Amino acid sequence: MATAELNNKSASDSMDPKLFDAAACYHTFLEDQELSTPVATFKVFTEFIKCSQAPTVTEFLQTLTQVGDTIQAASMYDAKEWKLPTSTRKRNPHKATIATLAGIHLFNQFVRRNTGDFTELEELKANLLARSTLILQKATSARDRIAVTGSQFVHDNAVILVHSYSRTVMSVLQYAANVENKRFKVYVTEGRPTSDGLTAVSELQASGIPCAAVLDSAVGFILDKVDMVFVGAEGVVENGGIINQIGTYQIALVAKALGKPIYAIAESYKFVRLYPLNQYDLPSITPDIVTFSNRRKSSSNALEQADESQSNDLALSNPSVDYTPPQYLTLLLTDLGVLTPSGVSDELIKLYL
Amino acid sequence: MIIVGPSHDTAQGGHQAAGGRKSLKDMTKAERRALQEQKVKEKQGRMAAGLPGSAKKASEQEAHKKVNSPKIGSTSNLAQPTAPDAGKQAKKQQNKLNEVPWLSHLDPPKKPNTASNTNRDLHPAILALGLRFAEHKMVGSNARCVAMLTIFAKIIRDHKPPSDASFSRHIQKYLDPHIAYLLSVRPMSLSMRECIRWLKKEISEIVEEDPPLTDEVARNRLVERIEHFIKERITMADTLIVENGMQKIQNGDVILTYAKSSVVEALLLEAKRSGYEFRVIVVDSRPMFEGKHLLRRLVSAGIECSYVLLSSLYVVLNTVTKVILGAHALLNNGAVYSRIGTAMVAMAASDKQIPVIVCCETYKFVNRTQVDSLVLNEMGNADELVKSSIPSNTNPLSNWRDLPNLRLLNLLYDVTPSKHITLVVTEVGLIPCTSAPVIWREYK
Repeated sequence: MATAELNNKSASDSMDPKLFDAAACYHTFLEDQELSTPVATFKVFTEFIKCSQAPTVTEFLQTLTQVGDTIQAASMYDAKEWKLPTSTRKRNPHKATIATLAGIHLFNQFVRRNTGDFTELEELKANLLARSTLILQKATSARDRIAVTGSQFVHDNAVILVHSYSRTVMSVLQYAANVENKRFKVYVTEGRPTSDGLTAVSELQASGIPCAAVLDSAVGFILDKVDMVFVGAEGVVENGGIINQIGTYQIALVAKALGKPIYAIAESYKFVRLYPLNQYDLPSITPDIVTFSNRRKSSSNALEQADESQSNDLALSNPSVDYTPPQYLTLLLTDLGVLTPSGVSDELIKLYL
Repeated sequence: MIIVGPSHDTAQGGHQAAGGRKSLKDMTKAERRALQEQKVKEKQGRMAAGLPGSAKKASEQEAHKKVNSPKIGSTSNLAQPTAPDAGKQAKKQQNKLNEVPWLSHLDPPKKPNTASNTNRDLHPAILALGLRFAEHKMVGSNARCVAMLTIFAKIIRDHKPPSDASFSRHIQKYLDPHIAYLLSVRPMSLSMRECIRWLKKEISEIVEEDPPLTDEVARNRLVERIEHFIKERITMADTLIVENGMQKIQNGDVILTYAKSSVVEALLLEAKRSGYEFRVIVVDSRPMFEGKHLLRRLVSAGIECSYVLLSSLYVVLNTVTKVILGAHALLNNGAVYSRIGTAMVAMAASDKQIPVIVCCETYKFVNRTQVDSLVLNEMGNADELVKSSIPSNTNPLSNWRDLPNLRLLNLLYDVTPSKHITLVVTEVGLIPCTSAPVIWREYK
């Protein structure tokens, strides 16, 4: 792994956090498809602790903050772009910045909780590592626990609408079908612009669950036939609302209007201390379309067939996530159990106070 | 609020007429018939005498005639002077008459009696404070709480226990009449009650200390705790609330606020100091016009402001991006207890999908659930509603106390249901108002 090499190169200058390439480490971890972003972030920190050479506790804590900042900056770019010089880098608006934030918050809180009793740096580091192993173990089993909880909500002959691709939602559906032997049908939205929904369809078909892809714009049409809606979440915010792939808010609104239950499925490490007031109050980059920039360019070619680059432009100028306020969610299915949206805040207060 | 006409139905009147005997349910058939007949007879008699038909109304008119008789004026007011003169009594009775009947459980506004014998043992500082509270010279729950705690600290510092008791055992007994006095001049705000509950807990902890503390140590510890409480839960909390609230202020915002809250004022001033470009709309209402004080300070800080009355709320609401409000207390069910009119502002804003932000320190979180504004509230002086720039001889309401079928109501607070509140800014972070009980448990 790149981190180990970098660490061995120069052991003299221990204070420079660049020694440890947090961004590269982060991107390497994310190559593992099964690893979720907050967990990857957490793992970067533990790697850093292993090879940190900071001489005192204070400096150690300072470098931790710097690592956090690096990860957050890196989370806005693809691994390829991050290697380029700063000025030529292109941001990828579809990166999971909120999930990274959740991971960083979680780790900072974890460190804050555990530093109090230690004055010796080595003891502190050993303790942090021991405890972080426990936390990571718990995090990896989180998805299994959600699968058990969530599959209770799936009943025989149910028709479920799923938005795009989410690993947790997949694990719930697969558990319900394969372990609990429930028979149900699934509609999956296409999930433009990434079209992750198609991945979900092929995965579900492989496990023998009858499913069909629907267009994002056909949600209102199909929802009358649907018994319940499952959505994943990139982040669960303080008031119990969720930040998730674009389109979730629309589905939630339609589901509310038609009186269909909508369940958000998320691991508790995705809970993040953010409190958005509306769609434009998110920490991710505000997309161009909100401010009406670049309009002329796209409208001039409106009659021509949309080519590859133009649809790319459209994807880049559009938002990648939206915020669903808590009043539109029925319940949150998490590894802590089934929570009402207001229960999220109670859990966060327990964690952070 | 003005209520014209007989505001109680005949059922209530009938029930009162039967009161003192048995309730209607417990009576036998014969008894009930007898009662009915008696009532019919009474009514006929009243009609003959030119009085209104309803028993209650008649008795009111009757009482109104007999207004000078001192017998009726027996009220259960604690601050009642021992030898009242007839004129005063008459006035009191008239007040009673013009009260809104379904709010009789709320105490009417009181006048402090500084001259009474019962006040002899009180510390002079508390008398001065009581006067300022009673005359509404000092308003705002933060200001009142800080003032009250500071005075208590002073009293504790000046307190000399009698020779046969230690400080820790005597101080509680000594403070009680002071607290009672404050209660007698103006009902305490919910947050003040919460502070007193905390203080009593501190005192009881000092008593339980083993080995017993010396008087000097106990006194210093108590004073220190009070000062610490003011600093941590009120002063520092406000600084942190401002810091947290700044996260939600952006360039180009149009912020609407209602009446005056010290922490909202601090937040807006700090936002200006940090260089944000925003506009403020101060909504105000009769009869207190507290918003004027806020407006003056915002304008002198160079913030662009507008000023409207509550009645024009919907007119200005279209341009507003955020509503920021203060609170007197945050109840366990997530409702906000605040200056009367707040509920209207919050409801209007949430109707237009505008986020409603409430700034509230955690010491104001109280373990109480209230779904309406009537069960617990404070009565203001109803005369305030009549006051206007019109000279009293042409003011149509100047003689309102002589009109038997007119009632004026000046309530001071209302309850905003939690569904109208988007966010509560506290010193521990931004939380939804439904988490109030969790915070309350954490800090109990």
